[in-house]
Amino acid sequence: MIYLDCAATAMQKPPVVASRMAWAANHLASPGRGGHRPAMLAGEIAFQCRQTAAELFHVESPEQVVFTFNATHGLNIAIKTLVKPGMTVLISGYEHNAVTRPLNAIPGVHLKVAASPLFCPNLFLEDFERKCTDEVSVAVCTHVSNVFGYILPIREVADVCRRRGIPLIVDASQSAGCLPVHMDELDAAFVAMPGHKGLYGPQGTGLLLCGENAQPLLYGGTGSASRQQNMPEFLPDRLEAGTHNVPGIAGLLEGMRFVRSRGVDRILAHERALIKQLTAGLSDVPGVQIYADAGMHCQSGVCSLCCERMGCEELGEELGRRGIAVRAGLHCAPLAHQTAGTLLEGTVRVSVSAFNTKVEIKHFLGQLRTVLATRG
Amino acid sequence: MVYYLIICRSLTYAQRTAAVLERAGVSAHIMRSPRSLDAEGCSHAVKVAERNLSLALTLLSRENLSPRRVFIVSGDGTYDEVFL
Repeated sequence: MIYLDCAATAMQKPPVVASRMAWAANHLASPGRGGHRPAMLAGEIAFQCRQTAAELFHVESPEQVVFTFNATHGLNIAIKTLVKPGMTVLISGYEHNAVTRPLNAIPGVHLKVAASPLFCPNLFLEDFERKCTDEVSVAVCTHVSNVFGYILPIREVADVCRRRGIPLIVDASQSAGCLPVHMDELDAAFVAMPGHKGLYGPQGTGLLLCGENAQPLLYGGTGSASRQQNMPEFLPDRLEAGTHNVPGIAGLLEGMRFVRSRGVDRILAHERALIKQLTAGLSDVPGVQIYADAGMHCQSGVCSLCCERMGCEELGEELGRRGIAVRAGLHCAPLAHQTAGTLLEGTVRVSVSAFNTKVEIKHFLGQLRTVLATRG
Repeated sequence: MVYYLIICRSLTYAQRTAAVLERAGVSAHIMRSPRSLDAEGCSHAVKVAERNLSLALTLLSRENLSPRRVFIVSGDGTYDEVFL
């Protein structure tokens, strides 16, 4: 199997991730729920994970690093904390359903969408700034489009929000681990990310970096201030009701250690080189449209394509039969497809990680040509 | 043996506290707060040796980590609050 669906889950991980998860499942108990060795050791692993994340993402204190089940969980906490019924929220035209559905669920929320063509960060920024008016209460912006790998100018977006005094929620689902995400520079209210993509942790893990306190989504035991019937006021306990996913946290810790040792810049350079190889290899294939930044300046390790001769789902199926895993369709991001003009058909998405190779991309290109050739 | 217990609001806070002290060479041990010292129910404490309290408080103050409460534990196991 050649796995090119890393934007959904980075399936290939450093081997130590699985071994530490197995160790944790057998040796660690619940952090903060006992004074015995397995509980204290679990607490130590959780703290190391928070500390590593705080260093990687330039967060002032490990207490601001909250464990979540995934990025969607974190985004729900952030959105439900800041967005109240009737508010106006400014979002990018490349948001995932993890942002648009929670917003849609809040009564009377008015959405303003900053949209611009793909890979035109200056046009996007102009539109974002134009729409960032007085009635906007909150802004939500993805760092990288999960469909197209388009890197949005998040630092500039954060500057606009800071100048206007508008709290910003950043969806770093596709950037954490392969682009610098610096909480101190962004000065964001919240940054949400999954553990199982660019951080090479297991599924069911995620992080919410908190620039301010938040409203809990879940209520329950925290191992602290147990007499109180309200959730504790302090982070991370306020947002972490119930037993932690300790094996997941142990795996995530090793995934982040891998990212730090490999280097975010090196990982991005590797992924970009593979996407560049892919786009170059497709440039002379008739009937294939590839959505990528020619200069690679605002391109991550994700890109989309579509073919005149074959629907995207059909192509995805056929590649799957040939041992190549890609994702076809709308990628849970209809707004991004609408903005890019691909909503009707969707696209085939190819996404890579630090573990993919040039040989794999060459094989993918060969198989794609063969599939399309059979369609005349 | 006489020692001090620095009561912290959460396990993570206790871990931050212990990390600051350990980095400066001050031995710090995290434990659950004794029930009688914990009015809110369930918290963690950092245990430091008698001779290290002054240095520990200075280090924590530098890092803006203010202890919730501090207790001295006597050789006979009794606790007395230290008012800072």
